Amino acid sequence: MGTRRLLLALAVAAVLIALSLLLGRFGAYLVRAVAIAGIGALSLNLLIGYCGQISFAQGALLGVGAYVAGNLGNAGVDGVLALLGAGVATAAIGALIGLPALRLRGLYFAIATLAAQAILEYLFKMLEPFTGGVSGLVIRQPAFFGVPVASDQVSAAVSVLVLLIAWLALTRLTRTNLGRAFLVVRESEVVAKGMGIDVARTKAWAFAISGFVAGIAGGLIGFAARLASPEAFTLDLSADYIAMIIVGGLGSWAGPLVGAAFVVLLPEAIQRVGEAFDIANLLSALRELAFGLLIILFLIFEPRGLSSLLPRLRWAQPRRRGAAPSLGEPGGAAVATKGGERP
Amino acid sequence: MKKRILGALFAAGVAAAAAPSRAADLTICAWGTITGPDALVNGMAYGTRDYFEFLNQFRGGIAGNKVNTLLLDGRYKLDEELKIYRRCVDQENAVYVNGWSTGSVNALKDQIGGDGVPFMTDSFASQVLDPEKLPYIFMAGPTYEQQMIIALRDLKQKGGKRVVLMHADNEYGRGPVSVVRQSGIIPKLGLELVDTVEFRYDAQDLTGQLLRVKSRNPDMVYIQSSAPQALVTLRDAAKVGLPARLFIGNMYDISPTIPEQLGPAAEGFRAIQIYAQFGEEIPAMKDIEAFKAKNKIAKEDIYYMKGWLQGTAMSAAIGNAIQKSGGKVPSDLKAFRKLVRDEMEALRDVNTGGITPPLNYADHQGSTQARIAEIKDGKYAVAGEWIDAR
Repeated sequence: MGTRRLLLALAVAAVLIALSLLLGRFGAYLVRAVAIAGIGALSLNLLIGYCGQISFAQGALLGVGAYVAGNLGNAGVDGVLALLGAGVATAAIGALIGLPALRLRGLYFAIATLAAQAILEYLFKMLEPFTGGVSGLVIRQPAFFGVPVASDQVSAAVSVLVLLIAWLALTRLTRTNLGRAFLVVRESEVVAKGMGIDVARTKAWAFAISGFVAGIAGGLIGFAARLASPEAFTLDLSADYIAMIIVGGLGSWAGPLVGAAFVVLLPEAIQRVGEAFDIANLLSALRELAFGLLIILFLIFEPRGLSSLLPRLRWAQPRRRGAAPSLGEPGGAAVATKGGERP
Repeated sequence: MKKRILGALFAAGVAAAAAPSRAADLTICAWGTITGPDALVNGMAYGTRDYFEFLNQFRGGIAGNKVNTLLLDGRYKLDEELKIYRRCVDQENAVYVNGWSTGSVNALKDQIGGDGVPFMTDSFASQVLDPEKLPYIFMAGPTYEQQMIIALRDLKQKGGKRVVLMHADNEYGRGPVSVVRQSGIIPKLGLELVDTVEFRYDAQDLTGQLLRVKSRNPDMVYIQSSAPQALVTLRDAAKVGLPARLFIGNMYDISPTIPEQLGPAAEGFRAIQIYAQFGEEIPAMKDIEAFKAKNKIAKEDIYYMKGWLQGTAMSAAIGNAIQKSGGKVPSDLKAFRKLVRDEMEALRDVNTGGITPPLNYADHQGSTQARIAEIKDGKYAVAGEWIDAR
């Protein structure tokens, strides 16, 4: 990442944080929802977009984060430590979910993650002392560095700050040897082995790091909703996150953020358009249909996602800078294999 | 060009989110599951909205003040409902909010108190009913636990003894059953709990569970679940030779789908009926018919009656608050909300036009009474007098 891009990211985050503090509660809620979804989408993008490991367990991993952060927060642990604790615990669970990836690939591994999602959902209901069972876990108001986060505005500002940190950390990560190893594993495990990359270890790191970020996002979800319940972390949520990275642009760093904004704000936009024309209830019924249709259209006409549109605008750079470097590109792996095709 | 149009539409929609909706003297905000897993009973969301529209069209609003009623789709999704709540309280400046799921009210209960906004919940969960700790939350009838107690009292009156409780594996199923079991009310009534059977909320076959129920030889099987699950239960009960008359469900088991789909196998099935049926000969139906003559009613069922009743109670409290403020809507919204809450709690003997017995909101429930409806000749018919759960 160049200095110019870094400064731009910092400026955007500063504006968003300031805006969050000035907005009403509803506006702040939207900013927070987009920021948290953005963190979760970044985490999934690392796994699918950069390491090529398809996972349908993102919803459950967010749930693990929410429950861990909620329990720690309820026990009086500071919000920052609770979020870090949620990240560590979810990283461990994420690595565990990734174990089958050592033997399974592609569709078979994706099915294994589906099973993991189902198992975790079941555990959310059964581990009552930890999760509150089917009633869910009511989470107390969090405090960060001892300061209670009482308002939606402050909570939104905190979420934007965490998003910025996650974004900076993950974009930096992909410029390291480990990040480049992710790309090689994504392109071809055989080539990765040939290059001396420990494929199993690389995948385990991808799951752990992705899990860590997902856990933090889950913790923020729990603190925001003040309730972690099994019904909130189902396969539907996993599907929403996959939609975010597909719509935004798989394998780019701007994509998950654009996708998160799109998926979170689209229902609100449809609702308001419906209200303006007095057909809100009709549009409500068609909303899921429209959402599904949009994803299909994206896959057909714009498979690289919304973020790929940005460079084509006049004011933007002609080259797609935010995208994950392919093999053979500067910043990518040293050798090219498949011409840098996206997964 | 297409992308620009799409982008502009999206941006317009989001930008519109920053502005509140129509101006009116006062705003009521409600959300229900317009689309979602329990949309079957969303008549209650339409009922509440329609009651306030009825007041606008036929009574000149509340104490001469027009009401803007906003009905939104919570989709039975927690994040959506939490978002809508903020819109209602912060952006629409609603004086009264009517919200849907147990999960959302549970998540919002502290904030509702902090915001000081009167809140009518569609949930019947006892965990959100506490006039002292949750002074702003009200509901419109007996809790799920009280509905179960009404069924148990009916069994005792009829001389039965052996009880089986069947429930879904979610909070809605497990919570009330657990509370009733722990309360010790079953042995206190001289009844015997012979088994508790849990099933998946989305179960499509309950033959195994019903064979187990049959082996317990019960006098009554209470189903703590909704119409789709009651349908599966009764279908499989018929398969194993258990008559529908043994089964009784809560107020969400009154659905024409059950007799329509099961035919004779549903005859004798009973359910707790808190509200009058749509179309019953009661004074409130005259108002509803008058409204229907000028407007389209989305759902003509018992749940619509619940919504209409909620509107009746909410508007009574708002009307009293306006009267106490000299006949005008106070400009201080926070103080107005507090006044409405106080007036809600002060409501006594509110005439509901026969939908329920008169309401008394000192306990934040309105009524704790219900009757038992039974399927006879393919239709639900009231099969007894009002029973009070207290």
